[in-house]
Amino acid sequence: MSYCVNCGVELEQSLERCPLCNTPVINPNEVTHTHSVPPFPKEKGQVEVVKSRDLAILLSVSLSAASIVCGLLNLFVFQRTLWSLYVIGACVVIWVLAIPAIIYTKMPIYISLICDGLAIGLYQYMISFNTANHDWFFKLALPITALVTVAALLFTLFLQKVSSAFLMTALYFFVDLAFLCVGIELLIERFLEVGYHLTWSAVVLSICAVIVIALVTILSRARLRNAVRRRLHF
Amino acid sequence: MQKNIKNNGKDWYRLDLSATVYPTLQRKDFSSVYRLSVLLKEEIRPDILQKAVDIALRRFPTYKVAMRKGLFWRYLEPNDRPGPFVQPDIRNFCMPLSFKGNNRYMIRIYYYDRRISLEAHHSLGDGTGGMYLLQTITATYLRLLGHTITNRYFVMDVAETPDKEELEDAYMRYANASVRPGRPAEKTYRVRGTREPFHTFNVINGVLSVSETMAVAKKYHATVTEYLNAVLLYSLLLKQEHDFHFRLRPVRIAMPVNLRRFFPSRTLRNFITMVYPSIDPRLGEYSFEEIVTHVHNYMRYYINEKFLRGDITTNAATKRNPFIRVVPLFIKDYVVRLFYTRVQDKNSSAGLTNMGAIKVPDDMKPFVDRFDIYMGMPYSQRTNCAIVSFEDTMTINFASCIIEADVERRFFKKLVEDGIHVKIESNRNFTKEL
Repeated sequence: MSYCVNCGVELEQSLERCPLCNTPVINPNEVTHTHSVPPFPKEKGQVEVVKSRDLAILLSVSLSAASIVCGLLNLFVFQRTLWSLYVIGACVVIWVLAIPAIIYTKMPIYISLICDGLAIGLYQYMISFNTANHDWFFKLALPITALVTVAALLFTLFLQKVSSAFLMTALYFFVDLAFLCVGIELLIERFLEVGYHLTWSAVVLSICAVIVIALVTILSRARLRNAVRRRLHF
Repeated sequence: MQKNIKNNGKDWYRLDLSATVYPTLQRKDFSSVYRLSVLLKEEIRPDILQKAVDIALRRFPTYKVAMRKGLFWRYLEPNDRPGPFVQPDIRNFCMPLSFKGNNRYMIRIYYYDRRISLEAHHSLGDGTGGMYLLQTITATYLRLLGHTITNRYFVMDVAETPDKEELEDAYMRYANASVRPGRPAEKTYRVRGTREPFHTFNVINGVLSVSETMAVAKKYHATVTEYLNAVLLYSLLLKQEHDFHFRLRPVRIAMPVNLRRFFPSRTLRNFITMVYPSIDPRLGEYSFEEIVTHVHNYMRYYINEKFLRGDITTNAATKRNPFIRVVPLFIKDYVVRLFYTRVQDKNSSAGLTNMGAIKVPDDMKPFVDRFDIYMGMPYSQRTNCAIVSFEDTMTINFASCIIEADVERRFFKKLVEDGIHVKIESNRNFTKEL
């Protein structure tokens, strides 16, 4: 029987320190513990991981079935156009979008964003088989999809690696939006072969520039930053 | 609780008034799970315990259920999946309980050496309901070992059909006051501490003598609950005073009151309400005697049938409001969680519950050593205290998820100073310096 010299409480025999004040128990008369079973087990438990496997299987099977059925119908019954590519492409996009949410939740966000971009690109490529030529896809759709994917990746990178504070998030958003709009307009003009002249994107760029300058000013001044955060907290 | 019978004969159960809140607080790292344990005199045989669980659980239909989501409310559905299975106990108990894991059962039964532990999600029922289940399982276990145990107090007849009243939402029966008193809401002192890694559950048990504690409480002209409440308030006040603080805040304890004492009901579901004894150090320095007197008067003033009826009427009003009832569940979840995090959780500095003296049938007494109860993991960084007594053994179980044990130390030190012999047990890991 040992008592804590600091707290005055009796300590259970398996305790080597007082749990209340961390004072070591030194009892020269009781070197070995007579009570062999401590009051609590040593093994730690793990929280059970619940897999949404059923939903993942259901989703995969439903989408595959829809794709296969439409493909077969297109092949043997309604053969005039390649309409089934719309359905198959949509199924692929839905499945890829569902991967991080249902099928493989541990997938890094960057890889899932790249996969999303690739799936949407693939869908557009499938659509291009139903159009007169592939020009719009290679010169317009694919570059815009790549641009949006890169913008999304950069936005995520800054959120994760730099800061995810409310004001910083707004800053990334408006910078991203400005460059995205400018990029889209330039790509459209390249496709139409009308020369590079900023029109509507210049308006977006100007508005974003004003907002970004205001945000940078707020962020660089601690007093102003705190005042804005205080008033806008949610 | 209202039992609804569909045309196809399948049963489902509405959540009771308290139970609607607990699932909304569910996170990956938090569940409202409490634990009740009974320490027997001989080592537990898991095979017999499993049989006892299977037999006893049939008598408790509202514990053999799974949580389901509707469009407007969650509900409980009878669960016929295999289980729940008894398992060896773990060091970090009261772990989060996923509604989809554990074969969708919301109870867990552990065994360790001489101890049987029942962990239940609070949306199934309160400590009293859980105690009925634990004692019925224990009695069935002892019967399977060849002992004769009579059905009395918390031990129910496993062959009996459950009474309708056991399944009722008793709140709705008694929430009929013509006025709805407001809820006190004020920011209180919050214990600051270093959070332990997920999922560490720090437990410190104090084992003391009921007669010794009663004698000390009597010296202060208070009951045991009032005295222990005062000791906890005193410990929190001392901690606030010694820690770094910009301003002093009131110290308040959230204490559940068993409403069955005031409103006759045999319900096994939740039937508790919270009272908040508090001390405001901004009014001046309180001596321990003054704290005891204050708590004593508070309890006398608030814990009576009239005040409690008003309190449950206020709580029931939101659930009865037709405009709130038609709001989709995900919006309700968001609002309730926001209210709990911003207001309710900040409304108290610690939790304390006293289940009082647990009665067991006379022929079961020789097999039982003591009971333990744990309020489970606190929602925020604080400590929860649960008290239970059996015969002359009182156990005070502190549970927290922070490294520091200042509140516990001051609490037990005060008991020792008052002349009470305290024996300490803990599952804490001592590799870190406090």
